[in-house]
Amino acid sequence: MIFLFIGLPLVVAALLPLIGKISKRVLPDLLANAVFLLLLVLAVTAGRQVISEGPVLKQLNWLGEPVGITVAVDGFSLFMLMAISLLTLCVSLYSIDYMERYGAKANYYALLLMMAAGMNGLVLVTDLFNVYLFLEVAAIASYALVAYGLEHDELEASFKYLMLSVIASAAILISIAVLFGMTGSLGFTAVAAGLRSLDAKFVVGFCAALFIMGFGLKAALIPFHAWLPDAHPSAPAPISAILSGLLIKVSGVYALTRILFNVFGLTPALSQVLMYLGAVSIVVAAFLALGQKDMKRLLAYSSISQVGYVVLGIGIGTPLGIAGGLFHLFNHALAKGLLFLNSGSVQHATGTRNLEEMGGLAKRMPVTAATSLIGSLSIVGVPPLSGFWSKLIIIMALVQAKEWPLALVAILASVLTLWYYLLMQRKAFFGKLDEKWKNVKEAPFWMTASTVILALLSIGVGLFFSAFIKSWIQPASDVLARGIHLALGSWGI
Amino acid sequence: MIWQILLLSGVVLFSILAILSKDLIKSAISLALASLFLGILFFQMNAPYAGVFEISVVAGLITVLFMLTIALTKAEGDVRESKLARLIFPLVFVAFILIDVLVMKGLLQKVPALPETSESGAFGDVLWKQRTFDLIGQLAIILAGVFSVLALFRKRNKDE
Repeated sequence: MIFLFIGLPLVVAALLPLIGKISKRVLPDLLANAVFLLLLVLAVTAGRQVISEGPVLKQLNWLGEPVGITVAVDGFSLFMLMAISLLTLCVSLYSIDYMERYGAKANYYALLLMMAAGMNGLVLVTDLFNVYLFLEVAAIASYALVAYGLEHDELEASFKYLMLSVIASAAILISIAVLFGMTGSLGFTAVAAGLRSLDAKFVVGFCAALFIMGFGLKAALIPFHAWLPDAHPSAPAPISAILSGLLIKVSGVYALTRILFNVFGLTPALSQVLMYLGAVSIVVAAFLALGQKDMKRLLAYSSISQVGYVVLGIGIGTPLGIAGGLFHLFNHALAKGLLFLNSGSVQHATGTRNLEEMGGLAKRMPVTAATSLIGSLSIVGVPPLSGFWSKLIIIMALVQAKEWPLALVAILASVLTLWYYLLMQRKAFFGKLDEKWKNVKEAPFWMTASTVILALLSIGVGLFFSAFIKSWIQPASDVLARGIHLALGSWGI
Repeated sequence: MIWQILLLSGVVLFSILAILSKDLIKSAISLALASLFLGILFFQMNAPYAGVFEISVVAGLITVLFMLTIALTKAEGDVRESKLARLIFPLVFVAFILIDVLVMKGLLQKVPALPETSESGAFGDVLWKQRTFDLIGQLAIILAGVFSVLALFRKRNKDE
């Protein structure tokens, strides 16, 4: 069943260009959305049963013979699968109307499915080289999707993204090669065991530094962020939503924490590095966001800042900190996905992303304005929206770990976040309606529907946060808190 | 040993040429030569499969692709390269060599001989039976590449 998460999107993606010859719009729309819906249902219902007894290792059987394809499912990977399926479904619903003007829908959905398959694969594998492979699958699909509009800016942004991403992949690959040389193995379990028996602190430090650089580039942590403010705004809005909401977290944060926590084991030094990288990202990116006039660019800088919160939370290393970081990861995926989709609706209606030209759009686009306000307030951390609880947990964990200065940074940066989001809201949606926007209409049905779903989820998760934490976040943070004992113990050697 | 050092110097030399040369064709040929030397090194060090792939794919196929692309495109306007790039490369290169010498020396002393694990075995065995998942991943990468090419080189239909 778990193999469907990788296999189904791959197979459907391979068929889509052929199906696109028969039906240009309806069948690709239907098929892609059906796949994402099915995966979401599987993750929420059947996935929970698979790990009811703890983490499991699954091997694929082909015609009764076991094949060398093994995946591991535990609380962390299932949580990520759920987040991926949920946001890709909303984005795919949104694309039904939004991608009409780009043309070649079948091809677009094929790339979207490939990206989803890459991300799903990445969270399920148990082997360093497979991590690299699926990272590349998702990345290659995303380069093409960023450049999907084929305009000059988009191609340039995609090229910049490609170049920096290749540097990241090279760093990751070197580190994997060194680890293979040291331990003679690539599997998480064997590498963890090998490193323990070798007692090679220097090498572990070297590899960890390369991983932090590589995955840090993928996650766009400051100082590795140069590509993101170009790439994310240039992509079509649904793709911006996936890139900012999911891809930087799956190929950056997930891969980094999985390897550092479950294979290397988190040392106090590593924990400090992660926390300070997170804190620097939070503050610097928040200041950079303040001066932006392009709506999507502002959101992109905000993504860097919020990923900083996630890394800061997880970097603390205490169970509370990890839970806060993961919860914020989910909340930010919902809210930032929502905001990028809204920016797409605004661009769809007005043809501009420049905040200075907008104003008073709330009168013409009430649903977009309302959902955008909910998304903004959730990221800022206003109760009872979901973002409030995750930030609160991160700050509580920092106080509990006696990291006073960092706790202060996290609180003060929230004020900055509030500032730039209120600026965005005021410039875009409030104030007097400009004469030239008087004919602007609300976005089409599927575009508004998917933003409403995300806004309702932001409110719902905020209201029932304790139940959500208990059923999804706790199992995930337990996995990380167990460190290398997870790889050595539950998966067995 | 002396052969290996000569070959390795060839790899480094032609790689530098590939980066510094202004003519794209010369760049592509230097890259092919660098990977040819690397391929021979692989043979020398008892890794025939790696050698075959290196020479046939990197030195052969990729060079052909580069040549085709260069032949099909034409220079459009003068793009001025900043002088800074020329200055930075030697600096980065020296820094890289220094780090390489320092780190690798430390690493090599600590690297144990590769333990005989279940992953060792005949090449085909390893590829088909133990690393099956990699094949799926590679298949996915090729598919993603094909779709990317289809998407980026599609004709934009204005009516759609």
